[in-house]
Amino acid sequence: MTVRIGIPRGLLYYQYGALWERFLQGLGAEVVVTGDTSKATLDCGSVLDDVCLPVKVYFGHIYELAARNVDYLFTPRIISVAARQYCCPKIIGMPDILHSNMEQLPPLLDINVNLHQNGCSLYQAVIAAGRRLGKNPLFSLYAWHNAWQNHRREQPFFCPCRTDRQRIGLIGHSYIIHDHQISMNVIDKLSNLGFEVITPDMVSLCQAAAAAKTLNKKIFWSNSHHMAGAALTLIQSTPPVDGLIFMTSFACGPDALIGELIKRRAHALNIPCMLLTVDEHTAEAGFVTRLEAFTDMLSRRRQPC
Amino acid sequence: MLITFPHMGDMSIVLKTLFNGLGRQVSVPPPISKRTLELGMKYSPETVCLPFKVNVGNFIEALEQGADTIVTCGGVGPCRLGYYAEIQRSILQDLGFRFDMIVVEPAITNILKNLHRVAPKQSLPNIYSAFRLATAKMNTLDSLQQKVYRLQPREINPGEADSVRLQGVREIDTAETLTALAAVRQETESKLDSVKLRSGIQPLRIGIVGEIYVMLEPFMNQDLASHLGNMGVEVHQTMFLSDYVNGHLFRKQEYLKLFQHLAALAQPYLRHTIGGHSLKSIGHTVNMGRKNFDGVIHIFPFTCMPEIVAKNILPKVSSDANIPVLSLTFDEQSGEAGLMTRLEAFVDLLKYRRSSQTAADPD
Repeated sequence: MTVRIGIPRGLLYYQYGALWERFLQGLGAEVVVTGDTSKATLDCGSVLDDVCLPVKVYFGHIYELAARNVDYLFTPRIISVAARQYCCPKIIGMPDILHSNMEQLPPLLDINVNLHQNGCSLYQAVIAAGRRLGKNPLFSLYAWHNAWQNHRREQPFFCPCRTDRQRIGLIGHSYIIHDHQISMNVIDKLSNLGFEVITPDMVSLCQAAAAAKTLNKKIFWSNSHHMAGAALTLIQSTPPVDGLIFMTSFACGPDALIGELIKRRAHALNIPCMLLTVDEHTAEAGFVTRLEAFTDMLSRRRQPC
Repeated sequence: MLITFPHMGDMSIVLKTLFNGLGRQVSVPPPISKRTLELGMKYSPETVCLPFKVNVGNFIEALEQGADTIVTCGGVGPCRLGYYAEIQRSILQDLGFRFDMIVVEPAITNILKNLHRVAPKQSLPNIYSAFRLATAKMNTLDSLQQKVYRLQPREINPGEADSVRLQGVREIDTAETLTALAAVRQETESKLDSVKLRSGIQPLRIGIVGEIYVMLEPFMNQDLASHLGNMGVEVHQTMFLSDYVNGHLFRKQEYLKLFQHLAALAQPYLRHTIGGHSLKSIGHTVNMGRKNFDGVIHIFPFTCMPEIVAKNILPKVSSDANIPVLSLTFDEQSGEAGLMTRLEAFVDLLKYRRSSQTAADPD
């Protein structure tokens, strides 16, 4: 009988989900991914105090999986994905929050991934995951290799070519801007208003890292480092984007500083920048009004006076 | 070069002694006030944690009174403290201030480089004695404070012990040699020993765990420890400046051992360090449950990432270790009346709990 492994559609799923799915399938498991975030997901997640919306959403997805009769939950503890960088403390502590707040949880595949000092940690994690499913190390590494080859082919590249549409850089964590419930479909809304939307995942790691070199001090959160680098790439390219929207969730720790950093850089280059904060109480009408006001302003800026 | 630095409890006395000893003039920022907080709130990002905002306020007030060099700390994450200085520098520059910012990163080469910038022509023995006097003052301040916490619930005239301590703090501030400091310490301790106490009472014992800045700065925690002392509670503050300096900077054996012990206690609940003090918050809570403390108060600034993780784990720790935990978040909106109500309710609960336990267990 094949093992059923549940993956919650939240947090780092939006970056590594496809990779994880292929890897686990390569190990011979049946993978169950939760559906899109719904109001009910939010309600389940709201038992947590003081945490940001994406963490509540993640918790809600776990809740859904726990009821779906899976053998394992795939919740790796991702401490660091690059040398001398970290993930957000809430992501690192996530498996512990799950343990402390939910009774009767299926066993967690909470392998540690910590590339902060040790580049081999990833392979140790791969082997550990395979071992939990009764696979030998070589088999696990082979499954990971296959999954990784596919993942690598999907790497994006941002090209600042001219288009007739105005362009907006939408900067935010992928688990905010690609989650339809949290982001209120902001990408579709901006496209419908006639804008081309560029998100950080369209900018490659190398491009972002090169742009982030102009910062005085390297940012030590991987995601924020990439977001700041992507924002700098977009506003420093020729031609630069017409406007920047920094979308964040209320009480996101790193974003409080990174948002300020990006806002200051954009203002220095005379590029309009809007900070858009969402939480579970954000109402759609007010949200749309702000998008319309911002895009109207961008359109008027382009018209010759 | 006129040096300034952010406030954190009595830290200004320690840093002033250090920089003076290194031959530098110091401009201590005015004590944290409503104005400090308002300035900080006005110019900082909205949802950043409170220490950031208060630091910005401190810096503005110090630069206004003529300071030209800011000494502050850096870090390598994942707590936000490590990236404070970058953003703060840019905020202050945009406000039109001209200054140098020395960011002390936790790497020995960086510390030596910065030491060279601050004290270029000092001999090694001079530097050593400056550090020695500063750390001696720090240890004295902390041990006096600890003593006052023990006396407060027992004293007959409320506030007596603390006023003796404040007098001592002023004298410590002006002490210029180790001998003068030792004399002040002895005098203050003997004065504290002669504070009249009620006999035969067993006050409630409450441990305070959480984030260091809110714990050490009375303006931030709204004098939490004094309020508890006046309610007849013996406060056990789990972190003092000396603990931090001896543990994180000097890496002394006893502190490292204590940390390992706490990490082992926290292991079943939080299996990896996540920055800040969350691991210690959980470890101390387990420890205090075992040592029959009456309760734990967990304090941290609003949106503090590591402590929010701890807060979501502590309810489980509390029920397993059988010790009540009250989590308190502080931000610029926190009011004193609300704090008092919650403290009174918590203390009442603990008193009730203790009386029902003694009733059930007569020996």
